[in-house]
Amino acid sequence: MSRYLKLVNFEFNRFWKLFLVLIGITILSQLIGVIVVSRDYVNQANKMIYEASMPMSKFIEQNGTFSFHNISQTLWFLGPIGLCLAVLIIYVFFIWYRDWLGKNTFIYRLLMLPIARLHVYLAKATTILLLMLGIVALQLLLLPIENQMLLRIVPNELLANLSLNEIIKEPNLMIMFPTTFSEFLLYYGGGMAAVLIVFTAILFERSFRIKGVFYGILYSAASILIFLAPILVNEFILRNYFYPLELFFMELATGFIVLMGAVWTGNFLITKKVRV
Amino acid sequence: MIEVKEVTKKFGRKNVLNGVSFTAEKGKITCLIGINGVGKTTIMKAIMALTPIDGGEILINGEKIHKGSYEKITFIPDTITMLPQMKISDAFTFMADFYDCWNQERASELLQFFKLKESDRISELSKGNTAKVNLLLGLAMDVDYVLMDEPFSGIDIFSREQIAEVFTSHLIENRGVIITTHEINDIEHLIDKVVLIDHGVVLKEFDTEEVRESEGKSVIDVMREVYKA
Repeated sequence: MSRYLKLVNFEFNRFWKLFLVLIGITILSQLIGVIVVSRDYVNQANKMIYEASMPMSKFIEQNGTFSFHNISQTLWFLGPIGLCLAVLIIYVFFIWYRDWLGKNTFIYRLLMLPIARLHVYLAKATTILLLMLGIVALQLLLLPIENQMLLRIVPNELLANLSLNEIIKEPNLMIMFPTTFSEFLLYYGGGMAAVLIVFTAILFERSFRIKGVFYGILYSAASILIFLAPILVNEFILRNYFYPLELFFMELATGFIVLMGAVWTGNFLITKKVRV
Repeated sequence: MIEVKEVTKKFGRKNVLNGVSFTAEKGKITCLIGINGVGKTTIMKAIMALTPIDGGEILINGEKIHKGSYEKITFIPDTITMLPQMKISDAFTFMADFYDCWNQERASELLQFFKLKESDRISELSKGNTAKVNLLLGLAMDVDYVLMDEPFSGIDIFSREQIAEVFTSHLIENRGVIITTHEINDIEHLIDKVVLIDHGVVLKEFDTEEVRESEGKSVIDVMREVYKA
């Protein structure tokens, strides 16, 4: 167990510098975004109310009050989240291929460690999960700070103050911050299952090379089909026979099967089939 | 003892190993010789379970390879197995973290022997020095068997001599070594056993001392005979 944790720590440290850059970009972009967007609004209000003598009530009627919602829709706010997500998606592939490709084939060392090879697979998956949770945690820390900044820039009369609870229910943030346990299972469980399916597909490619690409695609398609089977059957064969809660539990079951299938297949490939 | 029994391996339609069998004993240096592409590296990788075999069996001390085996056997491939951004000291820490058989004293001794510094960054080392670090990481482990793939390939004569020196030192004593090389001249006098391979088949397996004494032939003489035939 301790060697597994050491491996997770090692994998995490390999991404650490890039992770810091992503954190920096997110903090800068979102904080600048709060200042720029709320100042724009205040400047516009000043222009209309004080220079064009528009009554405040009419300005609010035309432009609406200002809330965090106005910020969470902008590129300043969503851009770095998208960037982090894109980097993480690329990293899901890179975390494996960088060990195989290039002059320094670290995969030799990883596969010759005196630990179960499944630990290598799980350590990489854990790293991806930690990075994702790190980004979510950063966002959770930033939201109240950004909200406080907004309160200081925009006058009370023009402000629709949202609580943190209301902010995280914004449509753009809902996937990041599930409000119920079932949503958490659905979003994060689904996300992890997707990562493990990609990991296993990569191991198919690393085990059988060109043929493996074909096997990997077939395997991924089969996994998605199994995962979506309850929804597809309910929609097209049984014509909405199940209650949503029944469907949810069936999805949970198929999701678990797909996740375990990915780990089992990944373990089989990395132990018996993979080649360096 | 490492036992390679009737091992077969195909890449696509090409038979790379075609029933390869040989043994390598502890305390002896066994050399796999053959031209490029005959399957020497594949055999090494197969022993270490870094490539699956299609048929046959490989046993290390009578057991199939498992996670614990990597504390008893190590493989030094012809590329560095550590991250380029690491310093040698980082590589030492990594090895100490994961291997019970890591011997820091021996690592320091080898570092001195190869005239390297712990603060050296792997990416900044010459090819010769990178090969030495690779060798160092393998030899600093208290293992029974060391597998080396082309340790002399593409490095300067001085580094080659230094690496060859390792074979006569206490660092190799009592270990079983399997080595693949083209540079047979450098270590001909050091090897105990030769396995000549061609097109995935063992052409001849012989004890160098025996051939020298009974037939008065060197390894290169035997190689010439076998390959010309």
